[in-house]
Amino acid sequence: MASRDRSEQRDRAARVTHGTRSASDWRAAATFIGPALVALALVAVLPTVWAIVSSLFDWHFHRPHLRTFVWFDNYRRLFGDSRFLNAAWITFIYTSVSVMATMVLGTLLALLTKAPFPGKSVVRALLTIPMIMTPVVSTLVWKTFFFEADVGLINWLLSLVGVDGPAWVARSPSALFTILVVNIWFMTPFVYLVMDAALDGFPQEVLDAAHIDGANYWQRVHHVILPMLRATIVFTVIFRITIDARMFEIIHVMTGGGPARDTEVLTLWVYNAALRNFHLGYGNAGGVVLMVAVGLLCFAIMLVGLRGIYQRTGTS
Amino acid sequence: MSPLGRRRALEALRLVVIALVVVIAVLPLAWVVLASFKGPADVSQMPPRLLFTPTLDNYNRVLDAGFFAFFRNSVVITVAAVALSVALGVPAAYGFSRLRVRGARGLLLFVLAVRFVPYIVFAVPLFVIMVRLGLVGTHVGLTVVYILVNLPLVVWLMKSFFDDVPTDIDDAAAVDGANRVQSFAYIVLPSALAGVACVTILSFIFTWNEYLLALVLSGRAAQTLPVVLTRFLGGMEDPVRWGLLSASSVVVLAPVVLVTLLVHRYVRAGFGGRPS
Repeated sequence: MASRDRSEQRDRAARVTHGTRSASDWRAAATFIGPALVALALVAVLPTVWAIVSSLFDWHFHRPHLRTFVWFDNYRRLFGDSRFLNAAWITFIYTSVSVMATMVLGTLLALLTKAPFPGKSVVRALLTIPMIMTPVVSTLVWKTFFFEADVGLINWLLSLVGVDGPAWVARSPSALFTILVVNIWFMTPFVYLVMDAALDGFPQEVLDAAHIDGANYWQRVHHVILPMLRATIVFTVIFRITIDARMFEIIHVMTGGGPARDTEVLTLWVYNAALRNFHLGYGNAGGVVLMVAVGLLCFAIMLVGLRGIYQRTGTS
Repeated sequence: MSPLGRRRALEALRLVVIALVVVIAVLPLAWVVLASFKGPADVSQMPPRLLFTPTLDNYNRVLDAGFFAFFRNSVVITVAAVALSVALGVPAAYGFSRLRVRGARGLLLFVLAVRFVPYIVFAVPLFVIMVRLGLVGTHVGLTVVYILVNLPLVVWLMKSFFDDVPTDIDDAAAVDGANRVQSFAYIVLPSALAGVACVTILSFIFTWNEYLLALVLSGRAAQTLPVVLTRFLGGMEDPVRWGLLSASSVVVLAPVVLVTLLVHRYVRAGFGGRPS
């Protein structure tokens, strides 16, 4: 009797989870996932399509009646526009230096804090502070208290060793240096947190085995730890690139793109072209170029970075 | 040096480097908190004055400057935006974790892709669209737009938390006659509350700190704190402004820093660490 009850229950469970699956799952999917997708379609897909379509028009915000369809003229113009090409170059420099620096520093920091030490959890909590501080505030603090030319902390420290520090923010190339410093300070904790979590799940036996085989610390890092963290590293690099390539607040607050246009990145260029000068079509064309370039770069990194990774773990 | 002595020296060096990194990480926060209690005579002194008579003048001036209205803007928009994103994103994450629907993988990647698009690409069209709808400068406009920032994060993180809940308990709920919605609300969701806490806190931080979309879309009436702060940049040759800037900065930072330090384990969980 009891066993028949149980088998009936199993049948009923099977009906719920398997039997009527396709029909009920579609209805359930519409209930659970539908609202989120509709919301994203409205706030993300619609504007993206709008940006792409508008980039094919000569379109000034305050003269909408003069809007004309110009095919790819805006894109053709972009690649002869020295201000746009300059912004693309600055974006490239800014992103590559910042991504590389934060990846190296964050990973080293995670390795450095791997072995236990007193106060480790407090250190971990304090290291997240740069990442959660309002970027506008951090940039203001760096700008007014640290990089300030006359009474700033950095020039005071330099004066102690007899160096006359420059007017950091107002001059080139030090202006680019200041926004890089703030960005690296801001984003290293992110890489650190991800790498620290990945190292936490790292099998100690593997390291012990390599240790017994006579590998020194850097050999173990190079030949054992980094290869096993490859997928994490690839995804972190992609995430970092997408964040830096669209960075706006640090640069807008620190330099506003200056001096001249020496720190004007693409995000700022689009902002100026579309929302200051109100050339909607032309500005959006620049935004679309940025979006496609970042997308292709990340896709390429994913293809190259993850090639063969699943076979390798499969055979080992 | 003996091997043991060398190892001790290396360990000491390691702790010194870690301490140095921590100092660099917290220095801007410590600096601005100290400066906010300094009078105009102390605030721009080099070498920095660590001993000074603390004053609340800066905070009084922040209150006088009508900062409270902007603080309210930030609170209203952040709370509403986080609630909206969690309400939309948590059920969606459950769906992606539990339902076998064709094309779900592609949809999930689409949700993730939103997070990777440069926000300026969204900002320009949203500005034009919202001008037409009369939503620029309203709380509702910014609240809805912040779905962009938060929803992908909520869906992806919550999915991984739901994936960690064993499907056996779904089956047990089904045996007891629970339908999908009941199974989600009464069984699976309560087992993943740590995840809900985690995505709520991270969304809160990202929304509170957001600048570009707020700058473009908040108009005059709905300006949030990061946008207002940059106004204090003018006239920085006057030390009184430094005090004002510091005190208002501390007001902006206080909620995110306190939340992060109090519930650090949830913040860490958002980056792949276990919420220990």
